Amino acid sequence: MKCIITIELGTNAVRIFAFDLNGITIGSMKGYYPTFHSQPDYSEQDPEQVFITMLYVLKNLLNEKVHPKKYKVASVCFSSSMHSTLAVDKHGIPLGNAFTWADNRAKKEAIEIKESSLADAMYNSTGTPLHPMSPMLKIAWMKKNDKQKFQQTGKFLSIKSYVVHQLTGEYMIDYSLACASGMLNIRKIAWEPEALNFAGITSDKLPQLVPVFATAGTLKKAYQNSFGLSADTKILIGSSDGCMATLGAGIWNSDMATITIEDSSAVRVVGNKILHDEKKRIFNYLLTEDCFVSGGPSNSGGGTFEWFAKQFGDFTTAYDIETCMNSLLQEATKISTGSGGLLFLPYLLGERAPIWNPDARGMYFGINIKHERQHFIRATIEGILYEMYSIGKMLSEHKNISALSANGSFASIPFCTQILADMFNIPVHVTSNANSVSIGAFLLAATEMGIFKSLDEAAGQIEIAQSYSPAENDHKTYMKYFEIFESLSNKLGDEFARITELQ
Amino acid sequence: MNQFVLTQGSSDELRLFPHIIESGIVKNSSVNLNAFPKIAVSGVKFFYVLDGKFQVNIHRAAFTLYPGDIALVLPGQEFGSSNEVLEIGSFTWLHIEAGRQEKDEIILDKWSSLSGNEIIAISKILFLSSPVVITKFNEAGKILKCIQQELFSQEIGFYARVNYQIDELFIQITRGLARQNNPGRDFAKTFIKLEEALRVDLSHQWTVDAMAALVGLGNTLFNEKVKSYTGFSPLNYLINIRISEAIKLLKNKNIPITEIALDTGFYSSQHFSTTFKKLTGFTPGEFRKNNSYTE
Repeated sequence: MKCIITIELGTNAVRIFAFDLNGITIGSMKGYYPTFHSQPDYSEQDPEQVFITMLYVLKNLLNEKVHPKKYKVASVCFSSSMHSTLAVDKHGIPLGNAFTWADNRAKKEAIEIKESSLADAMYNSTGTPLHPMSPMLKIAWMKKNDKQKFQQTGKFLSIKSYVVHQLTGEYMIDYSLACASGMLNIRKIAWEPEALNFAGITSDKLPQLVPVFATAGTLKKAYQNSFGLSADTKILIGSSDGCMATLGAGIWNSDMATITIEDSSAVRVVGNKILHDEKKRIFNYLLTEDCFVSGGPSNSGGGTFEWFAKQFGDFTTAYDIETCMNSLLQEATKISTGSGGLLFLPYLLGERAPIWNPDARGMYFGINIKHERQHFIRATIEGILYEMYSIGKMLSEHKNISALSANGSFASIPFCTQILADMFNIPVHVTSNANSVSIGAFLLAATEMGIFKSLDEAAGQIEIAQSYSPAENDHKTYMKYFEIFESLSNKLGDEFARITELQ
Repeated sequence: MNQFVLTQGSSDELRLFPHIIESGIVKNSSVNLNAFPKIAVSGVKFFYVLDGKFQVNIHRAAFTLYPGDIALVLPGQEFGSSNEVLEIGSFTWLHIEAGRQEKDEIILDKWSSLSGNEIIAISKILFLSSPVVITKFNEAGKILKCIQQELFSQEIGFYARVNYQIDELFIQITRGLARQNNPGRDFAKTFIKLEEALRVDLSHQWTVDAMAALVGLGNTLFNEKVKSYTGFSPLNYLINIRISEAIKLLKNKNIPITEIALDTGFYSSQHFSTTFKKLTGFTPGEFRKNNSYTE
């Protein structure tokens, strides 16, 4: 019996799944690694700890769940969070920690390029919004602020490329993750000279560009022995977590969109065209030559609600944060749609799509004397979801959206899923497996093996577990409030900047 | 109780307790200039406020102590008021003999029935939380009162009870600190703190007991929480950090492997080698060979 292993190098943890060829989960395990914030705007991870944690978890999974059942591992498929940047020397040894997607140190560089004459051409060729998360800007920052490290660097890698290099000795990056670097020309499928020029590097400083189906070399002998894997186990380069969550949600070349809400969130669509947004708000990640995952990421999400729970939740009876959040959700259901006119802007961490304003800050608006604690709970949840709606609205300027597929721990809470259906006024489907990133990676590997003819066919395998229909009246209520939500978000630019300056 | 001061050498009550340097209650009814200078404390001093408000300075950090608050001054730390003024109010204190080893370890004499490991764990938590101040900690006040009553009454069993109560004071303060450090609502944040403490002193022989106490949880619950949060048992998580740090050091050829092993908390190079190989498939030596290059 053959099986497929998927390895997701996520924001806080590595998640490894073993699937049989029918997509049934044989087992899964995770391993946490820390993020270091040594200064404001800095967000780093230790590449060695990410690697060791991955090794440890993989080994445990193989020994406990895979080998005892006599499965033969056909392929190992990778996915990872986007925008990480790791400098290694010419021997592949890391020069310090990796910068994660959440690292904002390249703020100045982002403003510089946004205001330059390059901005339009750069967005047109790379399809990626200009934001400090972009590795192109992180490298430009390093060139200016850490000259010694910049000069010693042999390659600029993503964490995934580093981990794969440790296992096989190859330096590779797939198209979809390369898009997230802000340096890939998605029309020519090659590194964009203007972007490399801005970063201050040449293409030999970057890993080799390969399709998502590419084999990333052969597992080193010592790892074959240590894992009990044979030399013909394919190591697939795979894709990014965002693209895989979309594939795993089962929407493909249709007029559906996915909404993923974990700590942070995103709304995405898939199609064979690049969505060119005049305001440069939409990302376009090239998955295969004729397939683009387009959308908008938000910094708000479950993490925003968790912040609320920590500050205002009742911990006298609740033992941990989960029970506390559940009881808050219970309380929120007692308040009617629209929270009695209380609005919440969820910009605690600044915002990416659709307003792309790192200085944006949160706020409660419209408080009156009748508002109680429970109104604030519901308003917080609604605010997070209005933000999803506003990304959806931005996407629908370019593409018709007739249904949604929701996944991630926050979006799949029934109360939240129903609100999404009401806000968008279209049906929302939830798939049966919550781990859409891993399912997506499985579908990618299975397609590579020829089990499915195409990613289209693979995505068609995803079953819907539950559907939520919109309620017309609630939709109308939400839309009245959303108008105010949207105008506040746009109007407050100056005040956002001033308050951030003071913080 | 009325005011009193018992001093080693001059008070008969302390004859059987050479480890108690001083204990007493003071009711200060007028502001006393120059009465409370900052002095480096030898041994350990417990300072508990009964009434009023005191501005104190412990180890260069300023605190305002209110009734029910206790400060614990560790061996070698400075204690006093930054303007040397003793304010109006009353307080009680206990000053005991205690040594301090390198590695921030408190040494108590034979009178204490705390085991060696317990003292190590308690010292670890006290020094990591230093300067130690716990607010609204009436338990400590009760224990101090009990010690003083026993010293005066000298009823049967008082020797054992006094010494036992001093141990109890250490235990309760450590537990109180752990509770204060972690109200349990935010394990992610708690875990980050633990992570930092582990990294700061990776070569320390960490036990699950000490780690659990540091974040204020019982062993079973701590194990469970760490496992569900990280996917690893606490000790296995620690191995992840140790091996990750070791890898970085191995890639630098100039450090001998034995030294790396000890620096990262393995008790021998053999132990390091076995653990490393089990995880990575390479011995540290092989790993170094594969990852170093002649220029």
